[in-house]
Amino acid sequence: MLRAEARTRLGALELDVALEVRSGECLALAGPSGAGKTSVLRIAAGLVRPERGLVEANGETWLDTERGVDVPAERRRCGYVFQEYALFPHLSAWQNVAYPLRGMPRAQRRERSLELLGRFGLRERADARPRTLSGGERQRVAVARALARKPEVLLLDEPLSALDARTRASAARELAAVLSDVEVPALLVTHDFAEAALLGDRVGVIDAGRVVQQGTPTELAAAPRSAFVADFTGAVVLTGTARPGSGGLTSVELDGGGTVSTTDPGEGAVAVSVYPWEIAIEPGGEPRHGSTQNRLTAEVVSVTTVGNRVRVSLAGAQPIAAEITLDSAERLGLRAGARVTATWKATATRLVANRTEDP
Amino acid sequence: MRRPGGFTVLLALCLAITLTFLTLPIVAIFLDSSPADLIRSLGEPGALDALWLSLRTTGISIAIILLVGTPAAYLLATRSFRGKAFVVTLIELPLVLPPAVAGIALLAAVGPSGILGGTVESAGLELTFATAGVVVALTFVASPFYVRQAMAAFASVDRVLLDASRTLGASESRGFLRVMIPVALPGLVAGTALALGRALGEFGATLMFAGSFEGITQTVPLAIYDRFSTEFDAALALSAVLVAVSAAILLSVKLVHGSEVLGGAPR
Amino acid sequence: MKRALPLAAAVVLLASGCADDEAEGGDGSAGPTRLVVSAASSMTEALQTCAPEFERAENADVRLSFAGSDELAAQIRQGARVDAYAAANTSLPEELNGEGLLSEPVEFATNEFVLAAPADSEIDSVEDVAEAGTKVVVGSESVPIGSYTRESLARLPPAQEEAILANVVSNEPDVKGIVGKLTQGAGDAGFVYVTDVNATGGDLKAIDLPETLAPQVAYAAGVPTEAREPELGQAFVEGLTNGPCADALAEAGFGGAP
Repeated sequence: MLRAEARTRLGALELDVALEVRSGECLALAGPSGAGKTSVLRIAAGLVRPERGLVEANGETWLDTERGVDVPAERRRCGYVFQEYALFPHLSAWQNVAYPLRGMPRAQRRERSLELLGRFGLRERADARPRTLSGGERQRVAVARALARKPEVLLLDEPLSALDARTRASAARELAAVLSDVEVPALLVTHDFAEAALLGDRVGVIDAGRVVQQGTPTELAAAPRSAFVADFTGAVVLTGTARPGSGGLTSVELDGGGTVSTTDPGEGAVAVSVYPWEIAIEPGGEPRHGSTQNRLTAEVVSVTTVGNRVRVSLAGAQPIAAEITLDSAERLGLRAGARVTATWKATATRLVANRTEDP
Repeated sequence: MRRPGGFTVLLALCLAITLTFLTLPIVAIFLDSSPADLIRSLGEPGALDALWLSLRTTGISIAIILLVGTPAAYLLATRSFRGKAFVVTLIELPLVLPPAVAGIALLAAVGPSGILGGTVESAGLELTFATAGVVVALTFVASPFYVRQAMAAFASVDRVLLDASRTLGASESRGFLRVMIPVALPGLVAGTALALGRALGEFGATLMFAGSFEGITQTVPLAIYDRFSTEFDAALALSAVLVAVSAAILLSVKLVHGSEVLGGAPR
Repeated sequence: MKRALPLAAAVVLLASGCADDEAEGGDGSAGPTRLVVSAASSMTEALQTCAPEFERAENADVRLSFAGSDELAAQIRQGARVDAYAAANTSLPEELNGEGLLSEPVEFATNEFVLAAPADSEIDSVEDVAEAGTKVVVGSESVPIGSYTRESLARLPPAQEEAILANVVSNEPDVKGIVGKLTQGAGDAGFVYVTDVNATGGDLKAIDLPETLAPQVAYAAGVPTEAREPELGQAFVEGLTNGPCADALAEAGFGGAP
């Protein structure tokens, strides 16, 4: 298990985190740039010393500022995958992987490196220099190198962000497989929630130096605790003022016009969130009755096909995004400038924390 | 093919002038006297003495500069501390000192009546007007060339590589030897070439501090000066040798590390 | 690590070569004893000729250093450990002797102070070099040839002295510098010793100066107190009066010891 706690000031940022990652589990820290995610990794690895902090890996104390323990980075058995991989340009792929291997003859080091590279399908590229490898190959060498000496903890800094979109999908699958194989705790940071959801068993959303919510990806998406988390996980966020309404529902008068209902209780200045795939589109600006209860009129801004779904960007009093099927899109014949009604259930509407609490 | 515009012609003209100005004197060295005369002058004992002395003293000097200057440059490139800018300026000072001034400065420091003169003497070292003194003079004038270049080379190495080295279990000194130096190598080689050229051609400080004693302190530049008034052919011959050696150094540096080291396009 | 080893080996090798150079070969060992001699530039050809004979006779390895006598004196003051010092005047050796840096100087030769010009020049008297536009090359003030020159010119009528000094285009650090400027055509005339003119083998001609203008040129030599090989140095100094070097000096045109 990995325990990492840190309370420190980093430039303008006040970092205050406390994390626990069990063996074999991957905790993905997701947040915007500047939130402090990379700093958490660097503290765990020993590259940065926090003002106050504690890092314990599998029973071994690596950092305890209160007791004055600070094991230097080179003596912590961390496998660290850097954002741009940090492969040594003057060494070949196998030499990179062999770099951490010590106390064994050269032949044995080479053997072990080749074996590792083989598991990543890179055995034939063993003698290639990093600059002749593709982005995806370099990423795999970086991971292999981090695993070479069987680390106690695996740390990954945005492992997929340096890849182009096409390579990213296959690399994500591979990495997910590697992470599930590995029996040590893994801490991964990313700015992309979808990546965190795919690779992490649990996800922690970090913002401005604090972890605002931790849980499984589904939990976070389904019950975001703040507008920030909701927004980060890809929801549509609308601001307004709430007061108790009829039928046990809360009525929220949206800023700029329109009213929606939510099954969550709340009062005062709030934000409500709903996921794009829960929003349906009806033609025209006229209300119609159905089981859906929230209706807002808006104008179509853009229509984008993503795979077999269509993302429709709408402009009402506040921006709304909806995801509908290709079929629906064709039936509706959507065009920019068309007036439509966005509808969704009150039960799908989350009321997220009072607005003043949002960072 | 498009006719070159006026601006291009002007650029080409400037290049032609520069090229002619720089190469004409060098070519003249080889053309002013017959090859037979040149080779004969080289055979004279003083000339060979001077050549061997130059090679020896420059070699030792460069070795010292590399061994001591490399870690120093690394420290300056990777750490910051109070007064660092001042320290760097001090190290660069010999660059702007006229060589004769450098010679006098060395005398004032470690000459017999210099501030450290007594220490030097009791250590049994003889520096002024001795071969060791030539090494001192060469090291003094040539080290800034190397240290500056090495600093820039180390500073341009991505620090994340050092972080990676540490997370992979290598101590800082191991990271220095196995990552920093190999990655910074082109810059280090360029610095060495500059220092080497400077040391080989050093004249003023050596003359002041070590004198011009044949076989003891009379390096090739000093030998050329010695012969220039009365044995111009001998001076030419030695000059030709120096040019040839310098050109050889330049070429081998380029070959070993690709033209990126000395002016080619960056990779 | 692998790089440091051959580098360190190279340093040790070269350093040992350096050390060997400083080691002394005398006192019973088979190698010749190194003798370092500082002598005025005007003696270059003569001493280079006689040195091999001295080396053979005394089992020595003579290292000669030629420069202006004043520069050589400065080196001795700065701690240069030469074994014999021969100057183109008597005052410099006497100064060093007075400072406790040199043994009692011995006068071993004289020389003739002349006006020199390229062999085909039209100049043939001191008056000629007073003409405006003549390029005159002299020694700098502190070097013996330079001080002899100024001493000599001071004996001329002031107007002539001024005119000649106004024609000076270069103050050279030693006689070889003056000779060089003349043979390369950078000067029209210069003040040197007759031995320097002889050494050019006909490129320059010597113009004798009237008795009244000729200074007394006496050469003196001594053994510096910090000499490594004082006995051998003393032998060399004595050899300047009596021996192969004395003969070589005479052949070059130096006068005998006064």
